[in-house]
Amino acid sequence: MNLNTNLKAENTYDAIVIGSGISGGWAAKELTEKGLRVLMLERGMNIEHITGYETAMKNPWDFKHAGKLTEEQKRTHPVQKRDYPYQEANEKWWVNDLECPYTEDKRFDWYRGFHVGGKSLMWGRQSYRLSDHNFEDNAKDGHGVDWPIRYAEMSPWYDYAERFAGISGSKENWPTCPDGEFLPPMDLNVVEKSVKARVEEHYKRERIIMIGRTANLTVPHKGRGNCQYRNLCSRGCPFGAYFSTQSSTLPAAMATKRLTLRPYSIVNHIIYDKDTKKAKGVMVIDAETNKTMEFYAKIIFVNGSTLGTTFILLNSTSEAHPNGLGNASGQLGHNLMDHHFRCGASGEAEGFDDKYTYGRRANGIYVPRYQNIGNDKRDYLRGFGYQGGASRANWQSDVAELSFGAGLKEKMTKPGKWTMGLGGFGEMLPYYENKVYIDKTKKDKWGQPVLAIDCEYKENEKKMRVDMMNDAAEMLEAAGMKNIKTYDNGCYPGMAIHEQGTARMGADPKTSVLNKWNQMHEVNNVFVTDGACMPSIACQNPSLTFMALTARAADYAVKELKKNNI
Amino acid sequence: MHRREALKNVAFLLGGAISASTMGVLFESFTLPENEKNFVSYSLQDEKIFAEFADIIVPATKSSGGAKAAGLGKFIPMMMQDCYPKEMQSSFAKGFKELQDKSMKNFKKSYATLTVAERTKLMVDLRAMSLAQKETKSEENKDLVYFFITARDLTLLGYYSSEIGCTKAREYVLIPGRYDGNVPLKPGQKSWAT
Repeated sequence: MNLNTNLKAENTYDAIVIGSGISGGWAAKELTEKGLRVLMLERGMNIEHITGYETAMKNPWDFKHAGKLTEEQKRTHPVQKRDYPYQEANEKWWVNDLECPYTEDKRFDWYRGFHVGGKSLMWGRQSYRLSDHNFEDNAKDGHGVDWPIRYAEMSPWYDYAERFAGISGSKENWPTCPDGEFLPPMDLNVVEKSVKARVEEHYKRERIIMIGRTANLTVPHKGRGNCQYRNLCSRGCPFGAYFSTQSSTLPAAMATKRLTLRPYSIVNHIIYDKDTKKAKGVMVIDAETNKTMEFYAKIIFVNGSTLGTTFILLNSTSEAHPNGLGNASGQLGHNLMDHHFRCGASGEAEGFDDKYTYGRRANGIYVPRYQNIGNDKRDYLRGFGYQGGASRANWQSDVAELSFGAGLKEKMTKPGKWTMGLGGFGEMLPYYENKVYIDKTKKDKWGQPVLAIDCEYKENEKKMRVDMMNDAAEMLEAAGMKNIKTYDNGCYPGMAIHEQGTARMGADPKTSVLNKWNQMHEVNNVFVTDGACMPSIACQNPSLTFMALTARAADYAVKELKKNNI
Repeated sequence: MHRREALKNVAFLLGGAISASTMGVLFESFTLPENEKNFVSYSLQDEKIFAEFADIIVPATKSSGGAKAAGLGKFIPMMMQDCYPKEMQSSFAKGFKELQDKSMKNFKKSYATLTVAERTKLMVDLRAMSLAQKETKSEENKDLVYFFITARDLTLLGYYSSEIGCTKAREYVLIPGRYDGNVPLKPGQKSWAT
């Protein structure tokens, strides 16, 4: 009757964006700015910019457990606790693993942020472009399917994304890591400058060391303040100095007055209309009340984070799509990738005892990939880059000495040794067998089935790690470092929190889920622009690419809508 | 491309002031089942002993108060209760009792009534005992050794994240506002707390 009609009308939008993280926020901004009424659905709680950053201004002594996790926090976060990102300072921003279980066929550390902004609040902010070396790799070595786009098409969208987001960095003219539209770069410190000079001389600039390209502002930008060098980014920035949904895309979308943001809205599945052969809308479970409801739109952007997105697509079954929405190719859920890291080398720098630093730089150095380029040939495919940096840590008193007293205190008061570390981030090949699927034997807090993850590194990745350690040690030695140690702290998929793939782009609908516009081959009003869409992952941090792809796909989607093609 | 083998792979312990076992409990994958919380509790009198013990490890000096002033008397038992599994709480408690027994045995006085010199002497013994045990790995005194190592770890952790530790024993700036990667180190300049 009347109520139903009104409800349907009230629940109908031009576009629905699933997820409010780094790519969802961009979709909401682009679509609203182009005139669409948009509903952005976030499964978790709201976090207001600035007022929501409860720990941002706390001092070390304001944390009861000196920053360490309590047993209760570890009990409810058995996966999140496995590595550094989950901390006392931001513990509310990581998923309760008990409420949202998943199945690990092989170990996969799945880090999730269920709140407005998603992982854009806690991310590492390193922002690099992919190059044609990356876009061509699948076609060249036969792993994965060919990217349906090349750098020429992406370049203007990288420009666009960088100009809005504010990326600081230096131009280096390095082929595997194209330059961008940068704000002034942060400074290398005195030891890094020395290492850079010596390494570049030794290798005749076939390897370079540059300052990291980071989504931290070095100058004020679009009403946001510049970085204050506190290095507490993952607590939220009261100055808006790094890119997040809260600091950047959400205010822009809100300014259009065409955005409705609904937190606590878990999208269970996309509703498919077999008559129109399009998506009609989404079914949502209210996370607080457990009530279900439907929302409708002409376009749906799926930005629930790689595995969140693929879960929804796999869970969106119908007669026409028995294996998940848009999965005629059978590729949905397959080709899961993550970077591998946690190996490299470090050493001590001598001759800088009279030098120190001021401020806590929320950025490090970067060595862009130089392997398997030109004359550099390795016994594995593709390659890796390094993050790292030099620092003068507090004095590390010798644990073996177990010293105490005024002498120990005296030592701990002085700056310690200068050390420099290089940590590799390696590309993982797309393997069909690395997959996710729905596990109906378990339920989450809301009665939904859960995701099962079956993913592992293989030979190419393992071989690469040997070079990631040895090359790092060799470079540090060339730079005159002493007491060099290599390390491999062990790595599992998921730990890098760069999981990508499972709904890949490709030219051929028989072997891919999305076309070159991130549009589903089979359902032309559904777009996927988060990590799920990636046919390969290169070694560069991925979020900047998600931003560019999202802006490009939104531009296309709205144009198609206006032409009545969607 | 000529590549040389790098040096031997060594587990790289970051934050090297703290022992590997404390790192394991506080930074890695331990989960304490519900019924193991607060397995051992400590009294106000115990807190006084912890405070004095910690004050030998990080004493007051000219520039700054020591561990006692920084509240380590309460911090140490609180961390044990909130963050350590049953077996470790139990071993720690045994060691704590053995410390007090040793005080009686060596000085015929309770720990709380010892002089600073006497407590220091005790600490020297504990340290020697712990270093020896690292070599022999004997079962003898293992709880007392565990107590010494863990209490020392927690003292360093608690002190250098306390207000005194950060702002007096070291230097601390909430909002630096800029980054300078090449600053001359002034004579006597303290290290940054964070």
